[in-house]
Amino acid sequence: MSARLRWMVGVALLLVVAVALLIWLRGPESTRLITRLFSRQDATWAEMQARGSWRVGLDPSFPPFEWLDDAGVPVGYDLDLARAIAAEWGMETEIVPIGYDSLVDALQAGRIDSVVSALPYDPRATRDIAFSSPYFDAGVRLAVRVDSTITSTVGLIGGQVAVEWGSMGDMVGRRIQREGVAMELMPYATPTEAVDALLNDPAIDALLLDHVSLREAQGQGANIIAVGPSLESNPYVIAMPLRAYDLQERVAATLTQLANDGTLAALEERWFGPLPAGIEP
Amino acid sequence: MSVQPNPTNFSPANSLPPTQRAWHRQPRLRLIILLLFVVVLAASFYLIQLRRNSVPLGPQRTVETINPKVGIHTRLTDEVEPWKIKRTLEMVREMGSPWIVEYFPWAYVEAEPGRFDWAHTDLVIDHAERQGIEVIARLGFVPGWARPAESSPLYLDEDRFADFGAYAAEFATRYAGRVRYIIIWNEPNLALEWGYAEVDPAKYVTMLKTVYPMIKAANPEVQVLAGALAPTLAPPGSPDGMNDLDYLETMYDLGAADFFDILSIHAYGWYSDPNEPADPGVVNFRRSELLRAIMVAHGDEEKHAMITEGGWNDHPRWTRAVRPGQRIDYTLRAYQVAQEEWPWMDAVALWAFRYPWDAKSYQDYFTFVRTDFEPKPIYEELQRYTQGELAQDELPLENALNQPQPVQGEQP
Repeated sequence: MSARLRWMVGVALLLVVAVALLIWLRGPESTRLITRLFSRQDATWAEMQARGSWRVGLDPSFPPFEWLDDAGVPVGYDLDLARAIAAEWGMETEIVPIGYDSLVDALQAGRIDSVVSALPYDPRATRDIAFSSPYFDAGVRLAVRVDSTITSTVGLIGGQVAVEWGSMGDMVGRRIQREGVAMELMPYATPTEAVDALLNDPAIDALLLDHVSLREAQGQGANIIAVGPSLESNPYVIAMPLRAYDLQERVAATLTQLANDGTLAALEERWFGPLPAGIEP
Repeated sequence: MSVQPNPTNFSPANSLPPTQRAWHRQPRLRLIILLLFVVVLAASFYLIQLRRNSVPLGPQRTVETINPKVGIHTRLTDEVEPWKIKRTLEMVREMGSPWIVEYFPWAYVEAEPGRFDWAHTDLVIDHAERQGIEVIARLGFVPGWARPAESSPLYLDEDRFADFGAYAAEFATRYAGRVRYIIIWNEPNLALEWGYAEVDPAKYVTMLKTVYPMIKAANPEVQVLAGALAPTLAPPGSPDGMNDLDYLETMYDLGAADFFDILSIHAYGWYSDPNEPADPGVVNFRRSELLRAIMVAHGDEEKHAMITEGGWNDHPRWTRAVRPGQRIDYTLRAYQVAQEEWPWMDAVALWAFRYPWDAKSYQDYFTFVRTDFEPKPIYEELQRYTQGELAQDELPLENALNQPQPVQGEQP
């Protein structure tokens, strides 16, 4: 092989490696990796440490995750979650009430350090902000009475399923019908009426409902359980600035810790009420 | 001394000029040039393919509906994939909607003065026409060359109105006989939609007086819609906007009547029933009747109106939202109100059929179809309504609740 040919093969190999790198380095994760290689600064975390507090934005209008109590003070699952996380870091929590549709803008503008406000994961937004792993999935679940033999959508064939008319549960029910499960959907005006139907009408075999409404009903004594996986996922996550690498790592580690030590389950029980007897969280 | 060629060493390359001989003797160079040629050729075909309507239009279809006033605002402006444009319009037809409102931004079509790129617009119009859908074209969004630097694309100086008129006239000419309705601007009574400038009905009327004759000269058959006013209770002097009723009154006072053919109305119901009576102090669906009253008061009763935005939202957190079932009920009854009570209303195009991507905000809960084309229950209930599968003398909500819903594909 001549020197020139070896040189050309070498260049070609370099090009192949460069292209492979470019393909591999696409997306926010890779951008973050590159940035971290060259710049380890996390201004958000540094400011939080200097301040001694975590500024959390939320819209207190969505019980039981966040709302204003009779004294006008924000309370709820998300506030307790934020405080539990900050406590692990030895920090205070500063709650900043912001309208729901302005939360991400406030985060990007640096008015707050994070959003903890029952915020659904948005894959398109990962170009601009970072998300934690989910701490609650509000997606659509199949629910049955505790003594039911139904364990999945296959068991719905020939049955009647309650839904809130027009809801995501209704949409999922129609999808299941299109997929070939011959069942009848029974529409009700509200989630509460749909739950009542499952509890009190023997003709109703199951219920398709978002997990927030379902968990509230369980907490209020409805003896029903969710079976099978989420049929339409809607995970709630914590949003953080894209370059807040240290903060992101700490939130991830602390959420894992709070899940493992039972804190998340305890928060769920506090704000939704207990699960039916014998049901594991 | 002359050197005779040696016949045994003869090669065709030897007979070529020096440069050609160099090329001929370097097979790698030839290979590179050949590869470059193939790459350029492939890229050219790819670019040509991108600009073509690569999805077959399909057979000519018609919309079947019991209510010919049912319409919907599509959002195809930023939808780049032809199959998605086609699928959207197929689903609009299948929903029983003979009308769409669609936005055709000036800046997208005439990015440089006098150079018009109609590729995307053609795609939308071709597919809509093939599905049997009437397009109400909303024009606006100013290209950079037609506005001051650093200004909003929703801002237009008066001395550029004729440029906007030229675009509108080109549009009216190109789609003569195919697009019969054109809306001039959107919500000019909001500062946001007026380029963050002070809301000024006189300036909007000047725009109408400039653009309307240019459109009519280009295509006299086109019906020009004006207004598209945002329903708002903004107090006098508000920096955000001007009360829509006051704005329309002022338009008439300034002589706008001769410069539009149809009034475009935005009719959002927020959290109220479509039968809630009209009230100047309330934003609700029947606010349309107050706008109509102003038309009549100004002797414009022969002129008709179209709702080009409106409807209800069922976001679980938004303060102006209703329950999903209420949204279905209100929506169907709103279409019915227009059909039974408003002979002066030609179409009701509610917001919005589908977004190209999730907004991840309350806006997503205005749509009838998800971004992945999965129909929401409101889509299927509206389809049942337009196909005559719901009793007409009862409220849809009462019809639907506590009754088994038909399995998909079954006849009720």
